[in-house]
Amino acid sequence: MRGDRLRFWMLVLPGAAFLVVFLVLPLLSIVVFSFWRTESYQLIREWNIDNYATLISDKTYLRFLMRSLVMAGIVSLVSLAYAWPVALFIARHGGRYKLVLLLLTSAPFLTGEVLRVTALQQILGPIGIINMALQNFGMESVEALMYSSTASGIGLTYLWVPFMVLAIYLSLLNFDFDLLEVAKVNGAKPWRAFIEVTWPLNRAGTAIGIVLVFIPTLASSVTSQFLGGPDGALFGNILSHQFGATGTWAFGSAMGVVLFAISLAVIGIVWRAIGDFRRSGITIKGLEG
Amino acid sequence: MTINMSRIVQTLILITLYVFLYAPILYVVYVSFQENSVWPFPPALTGQHYESLWDQDVYRAGLENSLTIGVGTGVIASLLATMAAIAVLRYRIRGRAMVAALFLAPLFVSHVLIGISSLIFNKSLLGLPGNVGSAILANATYATAFAFLVVLAQLARYDWRLDEAAMVFGATPSVTFFQVTLPLIWPAVFGAFIVSFLLAFNNLEISFYNLGATPTLPTLAWGELRHGISEELYALAALINFAVFLLLGVLYVLLRTGFLKIDYRVE
Amino acid sequence: MQDTVLHLQGASKRFGSTVAADSIDLAVGAQEFFAVLGPSGSGKTTMLRMIAGLERPDSGRISIGGSDVTNLPPYRRGIGMVFQDFLLFPHKTVAENIVFPLRMQGMAETAKQENLEWVLNLVHLTGLEKRYPHQLSGGQKQRVALARGLVSRPALLLLDEPLANLDRELRKEMEIEIRRFQLELGIPFIYVTHNQEEALIMSDRIAIMRNGRIEQVGDKLDLYHNPGTAFVASFLGSPNAFEGRVVTVQDRHAVVDWFGNRVDARVNGALGAGDTAACFVKSEKIVIRPLSGGGDGLLSGVVRDIIFKGQYADYIVALDGKREIIVSGPPQLGFRRRDTRVVLSWGVDDCDAFAAGR
Repeated sequence: MRGDRLRFWMLVLPGAAFLVVFLVLPLLSIVVFSFWRTESYQLIREWNIDNYATLISDKTYLRFLMRSLVMAGIVSLVSLAYAWPVALFIARHGGRYKLVLLLLTSAPFLTGEVLRVTALQQILGPIGIINMALQNFGMESVEALMYSSTASGIGLTYLWVPFMVLAIYLSLLNFDFDLLEVAKVNGAKPWRAFIEVTWPLNRAGTAIGIVLVFIPTLASSVTSQFLGGPDGALFGNILSHQFGATGTWAFGSAMGVVLFAISLAVIGIVWRAIGDFRRSGITIKGLEG
Repeated sequence: MTINMSRIVQTLILITLYVFLYAPILYVVYVSFQENSVWPFPPALTGQHYESLWDQDVYRAGLENSLTIGVGTGVIASLLATMAAIAVLRYRIRGRAMVAALFLAPLFVSHVLIGISSLIFNKSLLGLPGNVGSAILANATYATAFAFLVVLAQLARYDWRLDEAAMVFGATPSVTFFQVTLPLIWPAVFGAFIVSFLLAFNNLEISFYNLGATPTLPTLAWGELRHGISEELYALAALINFAVFLLLGVLYVLLRTGFLKIDYRVE
Repeated sequence: MQDTVLHLQGASKRFGSTVAADSIDLAVGAQEFFAVLGPSGSGKTTMLRMIAGLERPDSGRISIGGSDVTNLPPYRRGIGMVFQDFLLFPHKTVAENIVFPLRMQGMAETAKQENLEWVLNLVHLTGLEKRYPHQLSGGQKQRVALARGLVSRPALLLLDEPLANLDRELRKEMEIEIRRFQLELGIPFIYVTHNQEEALIMSDRIAIMRNGRIEQVGDKLDLYHNPGTAFVASFLGSPNAFEGRVVTVQDRHAVVDWFGNRVDARVNGALGAGDTAACFVKSEKIVIRPLSGGGDGLLSGVVRDIIFKGQYADYIVALDGKREIIVSGPPQLGFRRRDTRVVLSWGVDDCDAFAAGR
């Protein structure tokens, strides 16, 4: 109908403009600031690449970065392993309760990172229930449960697994489960059917889920701050320091840029690995072309 | 027989996930009502933690700010996201895939980056100090992506030919929207509002960088957490969890009735 | 000649590289029940949407009631429409659905009520005003859709395969009902369908569409008995199709050689001796007689199977090892057994020949 193009852009422009001004521009400005310098809590407009030089040369930062990358990777994989059966179950056998089950999975996420870490501390901490129970029954408390990378890992998985479930679930919505019947009839055992049929056709969902978990985990600071202990600091912690205690905004911006660049790289890698999106099953009805 | 086994195993996995997710929360709720928060056995019920929560001004202020941020973000995000979702689904314009990608992009940017970038942007380039307003705007960028997803997922089931039918019968596009489209999709929009509200209400990093000293419930909770045990914190956690579940319950009812309307072809 | 209510001149529309409508010319008069028949992809729905205003033609003009509506949006065209999936507003009651067009016109309350009552009577839906669409049966929904299309007594009513989603019984019933409505209201109905039976039952005139163009338009009986193109001949009725070589042509009478047999055909278009002709003879026009009756015919064969259809039967006659012809006739023809030898014949006007390759 005539006028459709106009209507489209009129509806889209407010949101798009908003996002550009309040998301894209600020992100771009960080890039700019990363090339400046901070002195006594003031940003000085002297162009230089010292920040990046420090980041690359100083082994400590690299170490934190690696630690974060590894943590993010592990958390993503664990979440993946956990989320798949759950999403599969809900999509396949949820029936009338699909929405309920899904909301129940996502609900904890909406309560905020701090509260969830609080809850975890209550369970895992030195005076959390597990250790207290052990003590009460005359046993030694398990140090490793708390203030360790394991604890951080558990905490991060706890936080972000709902995202993974959601992403895979959305992909499964468009998946024709009858295909599994076909596989079964042709002699495929359940695990085989999964590998040959379900997994490949839902690669998009898996990819999105991984990205949705990996990126926030990479940047996380709160969880590791409380669960990670002295050795558990991650890249995100150092990053937030730059904007808190030390006030070195320029350096922090450089760190932020690095973080962002890695996030983009991860998205790119995953995008590539997935290949043709349409073959892997993601279609929001009506969104082709 | 094999089918039953795998079904049982799957159910078990599902249950363990829910236990994993909810056990900590339920435990916190339990503890918030106990006198002894370290080893709360045998149970000794008390409401004193809630009382002390209520008595402290700083929590009141935090609640106020969080509510403001939540509502502000909810309104902005749900409006922008709904408009975009309608546009993307209704009109087959070239470039709509790009638009969808733009609106989903914030999901892939970490909170920290959003928080600090908006802080720096406001302070250095615009000369504005961080305040509740800028916190709302920063939260809205992130929340809009979520709202977009929620509305998109619901709207995908809407039959746009209903709009065409209305127009053939004499309704102008705006009349069509208010008489036909909106009455059918408003649960989705409201759902988007609820999700955006909750995200902003409970957000730490984005709000923190923009507000600094101004308290919000999450920043207060964070502060408490750094000091170790705090019974008020558990009471707060219990309350917020309750609120979240209440709102999600509302969301659920809305979406269910929404399904009934939109899926009119299902007999 | 009736007044022309709907007039399309050279209306064309393409989507990307596909031509959905190719320079369509059409004129529909005031009292006509006009069917647009064609296979899917023929462009009939596109044409209907252009008339409704839901698609804008790339070129050409559309006028309704004498005024040019080509650039008018759908909500200003004053027409009614019935959609394939009914498209009733799920959040409105039957009554609210029906008076929707009247509300859009800003009609006064009493007038709305009057019109509502009138149309409810017409479609036999009185009593169901307060129900919601999901509480209605398929047939009831159909009537509500019709009522909504008719309530404002529009200049014309467009129907887009409205009976496609109904079961057979209901369809038969509604075909007659819809015809009745058209006669009572006296406004033109433009009825799009791919079901030729429907078109033949309900319409006065038919336009047959293929690949975005109108192949032939005219009185339905005329189209049926005198198809203008091979496609029309193959589309209407149950034709037997075969190709043969033209032996002689005189005026419009051709003798065609079909695997050694000489058969008569009526020539359409340019056809000369030696040309290959595509021939179509409708199954009910073939006369079938047992060989033992001493009859003479164009073709002879053996009855391979008889398919009993109640009011008539299809006789599948094997002419030789490969070729078969289907003849429709009364079920009791004196030979109800297979393997009877029979002779077949038809008149010149019963078989249409066209230049092959179209």
